[in-house]
Amino acid sequence: MIAFIWASVILALIATIMISLYGIARRPNLVKKLIALTIFGDTANLLVVLLGYRVIYPVAPPVLPYLSREALSQFVETAVDPLPQALVITAVVIGMAVNVLIAVLVIQLYRLYGTVDVRKIGERLPALLEGGEQ
Amino acid sequence: MDVVGLTPVIPIVFAFALPLFSIIVRGDRKIIQAYALVGTGLTLISVFKLFQLVYSSDKPLVYTFGKWVAPIGIIYEVDRLSALIALVTAGLMFLIAIYSYRYLEHDEGLEWYYTLYLGLEAGLLGVLLTGDAFNLFVMIEVTSIAAYALVAFYRDRGDSVFAGFKYALIGAVGTTMYFLALGMFYGAFGTVNFADLSAKVHGSDFPVTGSPVGNVVIASGVALALATWAFLIKAAIVPNHFWLPEAHPAAPSPISAVLSGLVVNVGVYALIRFLYTVYGGSLTPELAHVVGVLSTIVIILGAISALFGALMMNVQRDVKRLIAYSTIMHMGYLFMAVGLGTQLGLEAALFHIVNHAIAKALLFLAAGVFIHAVGSRNVEDLAGLGKKMPIATFSLAVATLSLVGIPPFNVFFSKLLLFNALMEKSFALAMVIVISSVIALVAYMRTFYVVWLGKPRENVKLREPMSMSLICLVLALAVIIIGLTAPLIIDKLITPAATQTLDYQNYIGVILELAKNLR
Repeated sequence: MIAFIWASVILALIATIMISLYGIARRPNLVKKLIALTIFGDTANLLVVLLGYRVIYPVAPPVLPYLSREALSQFVETAVDPLPQALVITAVVIGMAVNVLIAVLVIQLYRLYGTVDVRKIGERLPALLEGGEQ
Repeated sequence: MDVVGLTPVIPIVFAFALPLFSIIVRGDRKIIQAYALVGTGLTLISVFKLFQLVYSSDKPLVYTFGKWVAPIGIIYEVDRLSALIALVTAGLMFLIAIYSYRYLEHDEGLEWYYTLYLGLEAGLLGVLLTGDAFNLFVMIEVTSIAAYALVAFYRDRGDSVFAGFKYALIGAVGTTMYFLALGMFYGAFGTVNFADLSAKVHGSDFPVTGSPVGNVVIASGVALALATWAFLIKAAIVPNHFWLPEAHPAAPSPISAVLSGLVVNVGVYALIRFLYTVYGGSLTPELAHVVGVLSTIVIILGAISALFGALMMNVQRDVKRLIAYSTIMHMGYLFMAVGLGTQLGLEAALFHIVNHAIAKALLFLAAGVFIHAVGSRNVEDLAGLGKKMPIATFSLAVATLSLVGIPPFNVFFSKLLLFNALMEKSFALAMVIVISSVIALVAYMRTFYVVWLGKPRENVKLREPMSMSLICLVLALAVIIIGLTAPLIIDKLITPAATQTLDYQNYIGVILELAKNLR
């Protein structure tokens, strides 16, 4: 039963990654592209957290109060692996910076063109950028 | 704190202090420029000292943050490969900072420009010096965020903002892929330190972190595929190239030079670290098969992007876009060489990284002098300006001839090395270099002919901006000098660096010695 739940969670996460990549590539709305990107980033973070997780009981926070052999063995028995969580919190902070920057760019594009539809913006870009015939 | 740990800290401190500093000096442009020059100059001195230290020692230098030794803490581990690229990076960043002042004379926001510029330099140096795969991810993000914002620097121009948006979106997808790959590496090997990963991959033990878990071959395959995809996006290899021809031209010219010369190297350097340090040398047959398949894919994509970049150069009217496609071509060469996995391939890749960085920066800066004069990127608007600006024209000529691969200039010698390295694998791959160079020659000569001999559209009065042209002249002389002393440079700098990078046991051994004291 646990293996089934485990497998379905991982499959659901991979499916979410696929859907969010589709959203990034195919939705014409810039805001929806940004939302798909945040979903993609969060799903990746969740997958990495899942790598450090294991089903144990009783569970305690991964804190090592002092360094001794007994404390260490208790830690190994009751705590999940804290390092993926440390990696993920760094990635969350970095992801916030990128998302805020992209949001600013979307707002600036809306100010300049009055639309967030990528097709309409594409029509109004300067002709020189297309290269070739003018 | 020794020079290894200090180097990336200098630009990041200068970057964070700049917004406050600019309030104190009330946005005085001259003082901000002096501040930026001090920041990049100190970094250059520090990197030069580091370069001397690394080349005089047999082993890679290590810096442990807070004395937390790997695999517990984050470390910096600098070998000759990273020190050489770091020296080129810091040198070019310093020269381009001088150039930027005059180029941005009509634009607001010099303080924000330099904040991002110094942040970009810190990120680039961090990527080169780090010995930890997760720290590499953080530093790639630092580099990328500064680069996205600098591409959109002209925030009133739709094409710049849109190019910045596109670059940021695809770049964020790429770095998230790399993060997923890191999760896989951690899940399988229990570590993200390069030396520790390398030890586990080669089947030896490492203190503290235990032995690998699960099926190492499948985990390595998936993680390497995701990481390589991220690096292909960062280095703009076909089919992940589409952001580059819009992002690089849309930035101010000095930033185009930084992006095309230095930032794309991040992808190549990171792939070298993974393929040569972590998965280098003798592996178990299954792992060797995985790495072999990956290398073949990298070589094929590199060859396609070399030919594609060369062909696309010929249909461009925007001069900066033309140069941007040339960057795709040269990145293709680098990935072909990296995929070979031989000593000669690594030497060729390293020498070409150095030469391409200098020559491509020079080409963008020389083109920037003309673009600054007329305010247009269309080749036909630049017609006939060449005779009025002799120094910039000379630099443009040196840069184009060098990038095509004409003998006395530097890129010829690295193309020769590339040709020899690819010849060992197959004749067809070596011919890709020759054919794409010839196609690129046509595009460059057309541009150069128009700029030098074309009829001016209107009678514009122009004076050559000396501070910009002199930087171009310095870089042009560097191109010629590196070309003339190429055998010496290959002998003294390139070969020792490649030999040290291939010796992954040495790379592991340095960390292992530190980690033994841990228990």
